[in-house]
Amino acid sequence: MNKEVKLSVNNLKVSFRTDGGKVQAVRDISFDLYKGETLAIVGESGSGKSVTSKAIMGISAVNAIYEGGEILYDGQDLVRIPEEEMHKLRGDKIAMIFQDPLSSLNPIMRIGRQITEAMLLKNKANRKEGRVSFNKMLAELSDMMKKALAESADKRFTAADVDKYIKTFDSFNIQSIKLENSYTDARTHTEEMIAIMEDFLFMTEKRQKIDVVGELKQVARKLKQIDDKYFTAKYTDVLKEHALALDAAIRVEKAKVSLGDSVKKLVGKNAAQKDASPETVEILKAIKATAEEMVAQTPYNFFRIGYYIYKNPTVDLSRMPAEEANEIAIKFLMEDFMTSFLELEKIAVQYSFRKTLENKKEAIKALQSTIEFFKAGNFTDREAEAICKSINKTVLAAIDPLAVIKDNVAYTFGGALEREVEKYFFYIKNNPKEEERFAKQTAKREALLAKGKKVDWNVVPKSIIEPEAQIETIVSVLTRVMNRFKADVENAESVDFDKRCVEIVDYLKGKASQVVYKLTKRIAKEKAIKLMEEVGIPEARMRYRQYPFEFSGGMRQRIVIAIALSANPDILICDEPTTALDVTIQAQILELINKLKRERDLSIIFITHDLGVVANMADRIAVMYAGKIVEYGTSEEVFYNPQHPYTWALLASMPDLDTNEKLDAIPGTPPNMIYPPVGDAFAERNKYAMEIDFEMQPPMYQVSPTHYAATWLLHPNAPKVEMPKIITERIRRMKERGGNYGES
Amino acid sequence: MENHNEVLLKVDHLCQYFRLGRKDLKAVDDVSFEIRKGETFGLVGESGCGKTTTGRSIIKLYDITSGNVYFKGQRIGAGTHSYQDAIKNAKADAKKKIEALKADKSASPAAVEAEIKQIKADLAETVAKNRALIRDAKFDHKEVDKQYAASLVKALDEEFAEKFAAAKGDAEQTKALKREYKNRRRVAKKSKYITQIQMIFQDPIASLDPRMTVRDIIAEGMIINGVTDKEYINQKVYEILETVGLVREHADRYPHEFSGGQRQRIGIARSVVMQPEMIIADEPVSALDVSIQAQVINLLNDLRESQGLTILFIAHDLSVVKYFSDRIGVMYFGKMVELADSDELFKYPLHPYTKSLLSAIPLPDPVYEKQRTRITYNPIAEHDYSVDTPSFREIRPGHFVYCNDAEEAKYKAIVNGEAEG
Repeated sequence: MNKEVKLSVNNLKVSFRTDGGKVQAVRDISFDLYKGETLAIVGESGSGKSVTSKAIMGISAVNAIYEGGEILYDGQDLVRIPEEEMHKLRGDKIAMIFQDPLSSLNPIMRIGRQITEAMLLKNKANRKEGRVSFNKMLAELSDMMKKALAESADKRFTAADVDKYIKTFDSFNIQSIKLENSYTDARTHTEEMIAIMEDFLFMTEKRQKIDVVGELKQVARKLKQIDDKYFTAKYTDVLKEHALALDAAIRVEKAKVSLGDSVKKLVGKNAAQKDASPETVEILKAIKATAEEMVAQTPYNFFRIGYYIYKNPTVDLSRMPAEEANEIAIKFLMEDFMTSFLELEKIAVQYSFRKTLENKKEAIKALQSTIEFFKAGNFTDREAEAICKSINKTVLAAIDPLAVIKDNVAYTFGGALEREVEKYFFYIKNNPKEEERFAKQTAKREALLAKGKKVDWNVVPKSIIEPEAQIETIVSVLTRVMNRFKADVENAESVDFDKRCVEIVDYLKGKASQVVYKLTKRIAKEKAIKLMEEVGIPEARMRYRQYPFEFSGGMRQRIVIAIALSANPDILICDEPTTALDVTIQAQILELINKLKRERDLSIIFITHDLGVVANMADRIAVMYAGKIVEYGTSEEVFYNPQHPYTWALLASMPDLDTNEKLDAIPGTPPNMIYPPVGDAFAERNKYAMEIDFEMQPPMYQVSPTHYAATWLLHPNAPKVEMPKIITERIRRMKERGGNYGES
Repeated sequence: MENHNEVLLKVDHLCQYFRLGRKDLKAVDDVSFEIRKGETFGLVGESGCGKTTTGRSIIKLYDITSGNVYFKGQRIGAGTHSYQDAIKNAKADAKKKIEALKADKSASPAAVEAEIKQIKADLAETVAKNRALIRDAKFDHKEVDKQYAASLVKALDEEFAEKFAAAKGDAEQTKALKREYKNRRRVAKKSKYITQIQMIFQDPIASLDPRMTVRDIIAEGMIINGVTDKEYINQKVYEILETVGLVREHADRYPHEFSGGQRQRIGIARSVVMQPEMIIADEPVSALDVSIQAQVINLLNDLRESQGLTILFIAHDLSVVKYFSDRIGVMYFGKMVELADSDELFKYPLHPYTKSLLSAIPLPDPVYEKQRTRITYNPIAEHDYSVDTPSFREIRPGHFVYCNDAEEAKYKAIVNGEAEG
């Protein structure tokens, strides 16, 4: 079981503040989601499965309170990171598919725009972010270098050298960005040209009417715009020929346009529409082939070439093939600049690391004292605020500014701590009305207990959050960052500084080219069409311009999936994606999700109330009831060897093809979670319930290394209870049918 | 479930078209089936195949295009499209024949004249016959409720004529009788034949008026039918609430105060309170949680046994339909493609669409699920109906399939082979 954990939920507790009191929707659940697996969460409505998924997405209702626990993704606690950070993850790394496709689509926006919208926005934001990050890092580097030189004994470099090096780095980078920009522009134009031609060829093949001359002119315009010398180096002659052929074709097609059509076009009515001649199609096909070849050629490494050109502005490397040019450029770069730059950089990196290491050691001490301060309790909000501020300063000072891989725990620490402390004071306020009620109910409960009666309810606490629990949460935030720092201090010896230096250069390089990479609407459209084909929408090119209402339910759900996948997420949360669909469509959608999971190695959280759906999809299953996970295990274990009475009840309440007996419906309704039961929440509806079920919550018993269930029936002293006949019968039948599992 | 041989509902070549611009949308196209007293008939198919439309046409929520619907032998719905088509065809035929005769120069003019006369007479006869049929159909379709009310009133009159005669002279008794007569006459006058069929709708939220209490919702049918006795209505409402597993206190609540399963129970109570002979249940459990589904299915099953109800069960969840129904009809694009006993259908599915539908059922069995391959149904590749036109044929006693001659032979071979093996 050495699988990579993608997402881990630990002791999550979510409640909702309502007029009636605090509804405890999720009560202390934990699970891990591995890379490339499907985890199914099964339960009745109101069991808290959707609340869990919304907590992961950070889209809980406004009256939700996170009472404790953590959701860890990529080192970050999703419950406590600020909204801006969550913004970067939501939809991008973690995507969600809802039950009703129509409610997640915009009815007055064409499908194509809805799919490409996120891509385009993200591209724009990325380019902006690239520029900012690049400048920031470079400034940081130069600053640190100067500081380091001032303190170091190394006399090879002076502060003037630093300025020179940084300036060189910056300006040759600008040079390479210029080159790369022109290159990618040409490439973008080529790709757009391919897109236009693909549209054109598609339309002519389908014998649709189309403005032939107009389209051809567009292709010709694009063809002229492809003029980067690096990009077209090998193809200048071919492109010239193509341009001539295209001009000829335009002339031919123009001659075919009748007078009436031209007049129509002049007055701005329907453009001339008719089929293109086969010769034109041939020419276009040839151009397309060349263009595709050009797009596929080995790219130049402009970071290297940029320096070469910067030093020797007269030399033209574009005559050389890409591999050779790259080779020469890197050699020159290394000898002339990079080696000494890296040395200088290393001094700075080492200096910065040492400095922050000391800060970290101090921070650990400060954190320790802060933890003690909070643990002691009895603090006023002013004190707490001051201590938060100072500790945040200490922690931020301990972050190495030259570390490329951000320490998310430390970065998000300040906000998280502040919010938790705020929560503490917000909910701790005294409310006389509540106090009164609390005193009354406690008295009542105690009176009943004194009479020797059994009381199956707890008194609702007077404040929504228990102060002790909240302090614990605050301490856990502090401990997490402290542990992180401790680990860093321990590993300080084994840090590879050379690697770090190279990483910084790579980071700068990456950020610089992030600025260059442009996604135009046309290319986004081609991407969207590919995506639509991938999720099985036929005739994607035609349907790209349709509105959501023109699609059937199954197709709509496919579009929602396409939108969710457009950002290439790590984790996909499916909240009952097939409940509104009928059997055949449901089967198709499930197959699609399974296929995408295999192809993209997605991790999926699949939420449903229908166990039948899950058998095909899930690798592991968690059964939830009243905000707790009552049983979890691999899908074979849960279906062939269910342990919890609730799982039995779920299985027994749905008929399969061989069921003839009366169904075992679960009597009653789930408990009111304002007054959660003292014992097992399912006891009231459970015909196998024992006395202890009403008094104490059962712990998780291990059935096998991967299979756990929370029921007293698994206690060694519990009476032996048989599963309902309807299930044993079914399992027997299933085993006969071919399942050879369950001999354990 | 004893009287399985008496036919309660007979649907005969039912067609339901909707105008869609210039064309007709054939939502239900030539569907015929019978439902016997006390049985549950399941209707399955993917969404948009016309199952719901069939149910609604039967209960006369739509005016059917053509075909007949008989309930307890009485025609309750009839369409005229087929007769009109017959008239049109006959006229065109006659015209063609006459033109052919006129063009024929070899025959003697007198003979031609006589023949034309004969043809015209035939045409007139056909047209008259079909017009009469149309008239009948229209009459039955529109007046069936009036007729029924009139017959009830007549029976009541006869009954009370005797009673009045017996009570003659006794002023007190006559007065009481008169009051009873008045009440019952009002109910009889307002009765409708069609209320013997009731419907349960899919979405329990959308089908209940949010501004009416449960009592109003359940009593509405009775009030429309002319019952004015408040005591009696309340009595009935309480009774029915308990039958469907709710309690008296629920009567004064509003629908939004209930959970999904309870709302569906209210919907069931509303239809059962009219003491129908038959219920059309249009996807009553599709919108519910699994555990609630089981409760509702058990309730319907209990009602069927205790009240002797006949149920037309429309759903797309095949495992539920299999569990619940005695016979199942499979629909595809407005056509009934297969009809058989539920066990038989699942054992020997013949039509390729049925096979594809059965292959899509998910089961709670991971090993089986991982092996399951879905069969896709492609009608164009599957059938060649260019020459050999298909119709609804009986392959085995009680097992009907929509097929043509070649397919019929093939299916028969399969069935016989399997029966032997």
